Amino acid sequence: MADTLIPAEEPEAPTNRPPAMHRLREWLQRRYVRHILIITVVVGFLLLPLGWLMLAAMNQSGGPASSIMEDIQQTILVFTIVSIPITSFVFAVLLYSLFGWKGKSGEEPPNNDNPAIRTNAVAVITWTAASSILAGFLVVWGLIELADITADSYGTQSITGQPRADNALVVNVTGQQWVWTFEYPQYDKVATDVLYLPKDRPVLFNVTSVDVIHNFWAVELGIKIDANPGAITQTGATPNKEGIFNVRCAELCGLHHAYMETEIRVMPQENFENFMRENGGGQTR
Amino acid sequence: MSTPSASTATIHQVEVPQPKQHGKPGGIMRHLNFFTGLIGGVVLALVFGFLMNIQFPSGALTANFANAAAGPTFWAMMVGWVIGFMGGMGAFTGPIRWLFGRDLTHADAEFMAGKDQGKFRYWRFTTDHKVVGIQYLIVAMIILGFGGLLAMLIRTELGFTWMEVFNPDFYNSLVGTHGIAMVIAMIVVVSGPVGNFIVPLMCGARDMAFPRLNALSIWLLVCAVPPLILSLLVGGIRDGWSVYQPLNSQAGPGMIGYQTTIIVFAVSTALASVNIMTTILTMRAKGMTWARTPILIYGSFAAAAMGLYAFPFYMYSQILSMTDRLINTSFFNPIEGGSVWLYENLFWLLGHPEVYVILIPSMAVMMELIPVFMRKPLFSYYMAIAGIVGVVGLSGLVWAHHMYMTGWAPQANYPFMLSTEMISIPVGFLVLVVIGTMWRGTFWSRLPMMAVFAVIFNKMIGGVTGVYLSDVPADQYFHGNMFVTAHFHYMLMGAGLFGAMGAVAYYFPKMTGRYLDERTGSIGFWTAFAGFQITFMSMFVAGLQGQPRRVLQFDNMFNISNWISTIGAYIIGIGMLIFLSAIISSWRSGQVAPSNPWHAQTLDWQTATPVPLENFPVLPVVTKLPYDYGVPDPLAPQTLEKQYDEKVGAPT
Repeated sequence: MADTLIPAEEPEAPTNRPPAMHRLREWLQRRYVRHILIITVVVGFLLLPLGWLMLAAMNQSGGPASSIMEDIQQTILVFTIVSIPITSFVFAVLLYSLFGWKGKSGEEPPNNDNPAIRTNAVAVITWTAASSILAGFLVVWGLIELADITADSYGTQSITGQPRADNALVVNVTGQQWVWTFEYPQYDKVATDVLYLPKDRPVLFNVTSVDVIHNFWAVELGIKIDANPGAITQTGATPNKEGIFNVRCAELCGLHHAYMETEIRVMPQENFENFMRENGGGQTR
Repeated sequence: MSTPSASTATIHQVEVPQPKQHGKPGGIMRHLNFFTGLIGGVVLALVFGFLMNIQFPSGALTANFANAAAGPTFWAMMVGWVIGFMGGMGAFTGPIRWLFGRDLTHADAEFMAGKDQGKFRYWRFTTDHKVVGIQYLIVAMIILGFGGLLAMLIRTELGFTWMEVFNPDFYNSLVGTHGIAMVIAMIVVVSGPVGNFIVPLMCGARDMAFPRLNALSIWLLVCAVPPLILSLLVGGIRDGWSVYQPLNSQAGPGMIGYQTTIIVFAVSTALASVNIMTTILTMRAKGMTWARTPILIYGSFAAAAMGLYAFPFYMYSQILSMTDRLINTSFFNPIEGGSVWLYENLFWLLGHPEVYVILIPSMAVMMELIPVFMRKPLFSYYMAIAGIVGVVGLSGLVWAHHMYMTGWAPQANYPFMLSTEMISIPVGFLVLVVIGTMWRGTFWSRLPMMAVFAVIFNKMIGGVTGVYLSDVPADQYFHGNMFVTAHFHYMLMGAGLFGAMGAVAYYFPKMTGRYLDERTGSIGFWTAFAGFQITFMSMFVAGLQGQPRRVLQFDNMFNISNWISTIGAYIIGIGMLIFLSAIISSWRSGQVAPSNPWHAQTLDWQTATPVPLENFPVLPVVTKLPYDYGVPDPLAPQTLEKQYDEKVGAPT
C-alpha cells in the first residue's frame, strides 16, 4: 500500500543527443554554414575600409581642429568597426539565400520541401545576447565620449555661466538672417563677421539669435549648438590647429540659409592679440 | 399591402426588424459624390473667404494671395473648403438623419456599402472596407507622385551647382512640401490599403468595426491634400516639413494650408487608427487567439496604436501655431514669452513615433509574405511579436534625440541616447525573424520576395547609420547635415517605400483580381533600387564632407557627390514610372489571377476574388497559425525518446 503512494523514481531518460560541443562542431562542418561564415568575413573585410574612408571625407576641409572633433571621429570609427560583423553576417545570409540556396521562379510555388524551422533557441539567445551586448557597448562608449566632449566644451564654463579656465576666451555669437556676428567682450566688444580664434586657448561661445532659430556649426571644431531667439546656449572648444575652417548654419533659417556661412581663422595667440589691438580692442584684463 | 418584408430584412439568414424606408435606398446619398464634394468645397471656401474679406480686407480674393495680410481670408477659405467638401461628400448626412429620427435600413446600409454601383462607388462616401482600401492606395500613389515630382525638382536644383534654377523662396517651398507630402503618403501607403483592405479579411471579419468612420477617414485624407498642393501657389511651406517656430511665422498664407492639412490629417489618422484597432481587438475570427494571429495584424495594430498617441501632439502644435499666426497668441513666440523648444518637443513627440508608424507595417508585410515565398514557417513568431511590442514601447521615449543640439536640455541627452540605442534591439529581432526564415530555404523567386531582399539590405544600412545619429558625439557632426537626410531616406524610402512596392505586388491579385506584371514591375523596381543606392550613397558622402541640409547652394567641394546624387535621382524617377506603368497596365489588362495565387494560408487568401460584399458567406474558424509550410527538419538533432536502459529497470 505504502509503495503505491510513493511514485517510483523515474530514471533520467538517457538519450543519444550528442553533447553541445560536438553539435557545434557538426554545425560548423555543414557546407552552407562554412560558406556563410566565409562570405561574412569577406564582406566584413571589404566594408572595413569604410571606417577610414568616412574619416577621410570628414577631413577633406582640413579638420580635425580640436580634441572634440578628434573624439567624434574616433567614435565614428569605433561604431563603424563594431557594426561591421552583424551587418556583414546579415548581408552574407542575404547573398547566400540569393546565390547559394537559390530561388525557383515559375507560376506555381516550388515544392513544399523546405525544412519547417519554427524557432531555434540557440539562434534566438545568441542573437539577442549579441545585439544587447553590442547596443550596451555603444551606449557605454557613447556616454563616456559624451561626458568627455562635454568636459571639453562646457568645461570652459562654470555653473554660473562664466568661463572656468583663467585664460578662456569668451565669444558672443549672434545669428541673424543671414549673417553671423562674433563679439569679443574681453576685447572691448570688438565685433567681426569672421570668427578669429587663438590656437590652444579654451573658447567659450555664448550663442543666441535675434530672429529665428539658427544653428552655429563650427565644422572642423566639431561643435554645434542651436542659436535660439530669447535664450543663450553655450558651447566651447579649444582649437589645436592653425588654419582656415568653416562655420555653417545647420538649421533652416529662411531665404538665404544656404549662404549663412563664414570662416574660422585660427592663429597663434600673439597674432590674435595683435589682430584685436589693430581692431581697437586693447586687452582689458 | 403592407408586407412583413417591408419591416424586416434577412441578414445572414437572420430576420432583423427594420425601420421605415424613406424613399429609395440611400436617400440623399444617391446624389452625393466626390464631384458634389468638390463643388461644395470650392463654393463654401469662396463664400467664407468673401465674408472674412469683408471683415478683414486684404485684397486676397482679387489680387495677391501671397500677401501676409491674406491670412484670415485664407484661413476662412480653408475652413470653408473642409466643411463644404465633407458636407458635399455626405459626411454629415448620417448625423442629420438621426436628428430627424430616421435610422438606416438594411437597404440603405447596402447602398452605402456600394452595392451594385460598379466603379462609381470609388467616387462615393462608400463604407465597404475594400473600396476604402483601394481609395487609400490611389490617394497615397497620387501624393507619392506629387512628392516625387518635387524631389526631382529639388535634385535638379542641387545638380546645377553653378546656378540657381529656382529662386531660394521657391526652393525652400519645394523642400518643405516634398517632406510633408512624402511623410503623409508614406504613413498611409501601407497602413491604408493593407490596414483597410487586408486586415479585416485576414481577421475573418465582414467589414471594419466602424464602416462609416472608415469612409470618413479616407475622405478626410482626400480633403487634406488640396490645401497642401495649393499652398505652393500662395507662398508655400518654406520651412522644411518640421516648420520650426518662429521661422514659420514669416511664411505667407501657404502655411495655413499646411496647418489645415495637418489638423485634418491628424483627425483622419485618429479615426483610422481607432477603427483598425477596434476591428483587430473585437472582430478576429473564432479561434484566432493572440497566439494564432498573423504577424501583419500585430504590425497594423502597432502602427495604429502609435499613430493614435503621436498625432495629437502634432495636431496641437499646429493648432497653437495657427492661433499664434492669426490671433497673436504667443505659445511659440519667444519675444512675448513663448518657447521655441515647446514647439520642437510637441513636433518630435509625433516625429519619431511617425517613423515607426511608417516602418512597422512595411516590415510586417515583409514578415507576412516571406513564409509564403520561402514555403517555410515564420522563424520565431514570438520574437517577431516581441520586436513589434518593443518598438512600440520605446517609440514614445526617444523623441528628443532630434533635439540633442538645440540646447533645450543638455543633461537629457544622456537618457535619450540610452533609449534610442536600446531601440536597435527590438528592431534587430525583426531582422533575425527575416533571415531566420530565409535560413536553409529555397525561395519562390517572385517580385514580392525580391522586395524582401531589397528592404532588408536598405534597412541594415539605414539602421547602422542610425546608430551614429543616436550617439550624441557623432550627432554633433551629423545633425542638420545631409547624412541625416540620406539616413532617413534609407529608412522611409529604402525600407518603407520599397516594402510598400513589395506589398502592392503581393496583394495586387487580391485587390484587383490580376497579377502585377512581373517583368515590367521587376524592371521598374530594380531600376528604382539602383538609382536609390546611387542617390543616397553619394548623399552620405556629401553629409560626411559637411554639407548642411536644405541648402540650394554650397561649396565646390560638395559638387561631385551632388552631381552623382542627382543622376541617381533621375534613375529613381525612371524606375518609379516603369513601376507605375506596370501597375496601371496590369490593373487594366493584366493576367487574371486565381483567388489564392500565392498558395498562402492566411484567411485573406481564402475568399473569392473579387472579394464579395461582406467577404465571407460563412465566418471562418481558425485552428492554428497560418504558417504551416514545409516538411519536418531532417537536420534537427535526433532525440530518441524514452530509450531506457534495461538494467536500470524501465516501467513496462
